[in-house]
Amino acid sequence: MNKGAITLQDVSVTYRTPVCETNAVSGMSFTLEQGGRLGIIGESGSGKTTTSLAIMGLLGKYADVSGQIFYNDIDIQAITDARRDDFRWKKIAIVFQNSLDILNPVLTVREQIIECIDRHMHFSKDKAAARMAELLNEVGLDPKWAESYPNQLSGGMRQRVLIAMALSCDPEVLIVDEPTTALDAIAKSEIIGLIDRLQKEKNFSLIVSSHEMSTIQKLTDQTMVMYLGNVVEYGKTEDVIFSPTHPYTRGLINSSTQINSFRDLWGIPQEDVPYNSIGCPFRSRCSQCIDMCAKVKPQLKECGECHAVACNRGGVVKVMEGCGISKDFYVKGRKVAACRNVDICIRSGEVVALIGESGSGKTTLANILCGMLEKDGGEVVYEGEKLRGFAATRRQGGVQITFQDSFSSINEHFTIFQAIEEPLKLLKIGTPEERLEMVTQVLRDVQLPSDECFYLKKCFMLSGGQRQRVAIARSLVMKPKLLIADEISSMLDPSTQANILRLLKGLQNSKGFSMLYITHDLSLARKIADRVYIMKNGEIIEEGSALSVFQHPNSEYTKRLLMCADL
Amino acid sequence: MKNFLLFYKSSSISGKISMLMIALVFFVAVFGTAFSRHSAFVPSDSAFVPPNTEHLLGTDDLGIDLWAQICEGAKLSLTIGIFSALLSGIAGSFIGIICGYYGGFFDKFVMRVSDILIAIPSLPLMIVMGVFFGAGIQNIIFVLAVFSWTGPARIARSKVISLKTEKHVLVAESYGAGIFYLTFRHFLPEIFPVVMVSFIRLVNRGIVSEASLSFLGLGDPTAKSWGLILNHAISFKGIYFTDFWKWWLVSPFAAITLTVLAISFIARDAEKFLDVKL
Repeated sequence: MNKGAITLQDVSVTYRTPVCETNAVSGMSFTLEQGGRLGIIGESGSGKTTTSLAIMGLLGKYADVSGQIFYNDIDIQAITDARRDDFRWKKIAIVFQNSLDILNPVLTVREQIIECIDRHMHFSKDKAAARMAELLNEVGLDPKWAESYPNQLSGGMRQRVLIAMALSCDPEVLIVDEPTTALDAIAKSEIIGLIDRLQKEKNFSLIVSSHEMSTIQKLTDQTMVMYLGNVVEYGKTEDVIFSPTHPYTRGLINSSTQINSFRDLWGIPQEDVPYNSIGCPFRSRCSQCIDMCAKVKPQLKECGECHAVACNRGGVVKVMEGCGISKDFYVKGRKVAACRNVDICIRSGEVVALIGESGSGKTTLANILCGMLEKDGGEVVYEGEKLRGFAATRRQGGVQITFQDSFSSINEHFTIFQAIEEPLKLLKIGTPEERLEMVTQVLRDVQLPSDECFYLKKCFMLSGGQRQRVAIARSLVMKPKLLIADEISSMLDPSTQANILRLLKGLQNSKGFSMLYITHDLSLARKIADRVYIMKNGEIIEEGSALSVFQHPNSEYTKRLLMCADL
Repeated sequence: MKNFLLFYKSSSISGKISMLMIALVFFVAVFGTAFSRHSAFVPSDSAFVPPNTEHLLGTDDLGIDLWAQICEGAKLSLTIGIFSALLSGIAGSFIGIICGYYGGFFDKFVMRVSDILIAIPSLPLMIVMGVFFGAGIQNIIFVLAVFSWTGPARIARSKVISLKTEKHVLVAESYGAGIFYLTFRHFLPEIFPVVMVSFIRLVNRGIVSEASLSFLGLGDPTAKSWGLILNHAISFKGIYFTDFWKWWLVSPFAAITLTVLAISFIARDAEKFLDVKL
């Protein structure tokens, strides 16, 4: 085996206290070759630090570690503490998470670094001092700071000191725990550059754990995504960041300001799930959870080249797929192609924007997808099932559509209650009491009053924005997995539009449905879309992630659109 | 009831007077025979008594009280007017909804039939049908309905054709709504005001048509209607050389004219009130 390789086999860490047991890491396996760069990413509490400490053998007596951790061929678990000391810090070093109390406040920087060298290398005094100066030089810290106390240093400097201490014995493996938290942008990029440079110079194996996507992106080649102690996705960093397969990874990326620079920020909806339960740990926050997820814990499965995901549904599923959809209209004997061989795909939990000028066939496509219009060719597949007619709209958890014109989309003679209850009534869902409960709930969701004197109002008494909310409520009462929103905000004033969009995006985030948002407004699409389709004359002429389409448009038409919109 | 009060308040003066008039006709039709002292079928005095306190409108050639006959006639005229309008209004609306919703061959066929019915002068055909089916109140209602369903049907059809492209109807369809549900929840509330105006007009048409048929001697000779009184009076030889026409002819004529006029005024106001564009 190579020098400086780390292998974990089915490692689980359980913290035991008299009151409870907490499974911090469960069943983790990976191999890091010498010189490899591995990133571990996850929210706080996902087990990143515990993994690092387990590799160092630094977990206290309350932690039970099972499984095997190999350094080269040595099983770290099996050996005695004294023997472990031989290579701990000398061979495997850690840069702890930067905080004031990680350094001894009564020792100067010089004393702290020399202490490390002393303890492990047994150098002479002069040699140790020389080594210290060399280290400070390496990490780019002015030697004049050597006599300072930790509280006199800035956060970036302390991070450099920590790196210097870790590098004091020329380790083969460097574990870096949250190197960039709480640093300002300049310090952050300097630290990242420093670690990157040192790794390339010294060719040590690197394990970086962080909750910052950009740090991981710059420092690592392989990435592991952890959630509640479980590895949910593993693959090349590029693949993981640009084509995330697990819903959790996608959620993390959507929460990252560096990668997701235009859109509004939306965290993953928080909901607690008991730690030690069976089933998929992510299920309560997952938008595509099925019954099976409560019973079966998913294992990492290959889903591409060097890419594995732990999901019962094999990663983010395609909710709706349209293949080769075509539709012609005949106007006075002249054929008008509204859709020409259109392929479109909407995955679970994502917002897809369909952009095009009026007359480009957007609405025709939307109507075909939800079954309101007969197509001439192609097929629409909803969760693996070929759709005919209104099959997908006639069920809870199906497809729903909301229209541009809120005045026409609701019968104005209905009361608000009747309008929202209509689908439930037609599909015979629930008893009258349950329906009332569902209607008031959904009214609260769309931020309308849910008291009796409001929902018994007739719809013609409402403003355009309120009506649009009622129309959204009618769609949401069916708990759709896909909501098609056809220009829903184009008839509203900017403030109402902003409110409706925030509301819709918030609901989309918390309820986890997918959305096909049809618009001609590019700046709006940039704000909310994960992926973008550009349509012109009935054809999709460009598709891709919102970031790539808006920053590097391929087609001339898209470039022109962006130019006209001043983006 | 609240709507009716609103309607009454928003009506013009002529509309208000008309409503009182129609209320009076209804009252007379329902309770008239109980109020009049004489029978409408049996002579009660000598012939051709001019109006006096005993006989409000005088008597006819057989000495039968004319007020009693007018009251009896009101019953028949209103019954025929309202029932023929109801029959044609309801049947017409439903035929119109089905045609408008489904379209296609059935729609084309029905619309051509209605074109034919509109193009053919109705009175001669009504006379033929009246002769063919025989006199009788049901037959008259039926014959009238056969000729007047086309109006409501066309109105309902055109309204449904525009409604069925409305998004709320499409959405309801996407939840599985059938024609039955759509008719009662979405179409009828929209169609009702328009058909209502048409209904009031059809009542008028029914009353006039019945009077015409009876006037021509095609009504039920045993029944008492305004048209029949006119028919009797006109066929009395040399009526214009006597004074008898002043009460015998004028009273049924006035009854028909005033009722029809009042209903027309109400229809005009209803059109405004219900904001119907015809």
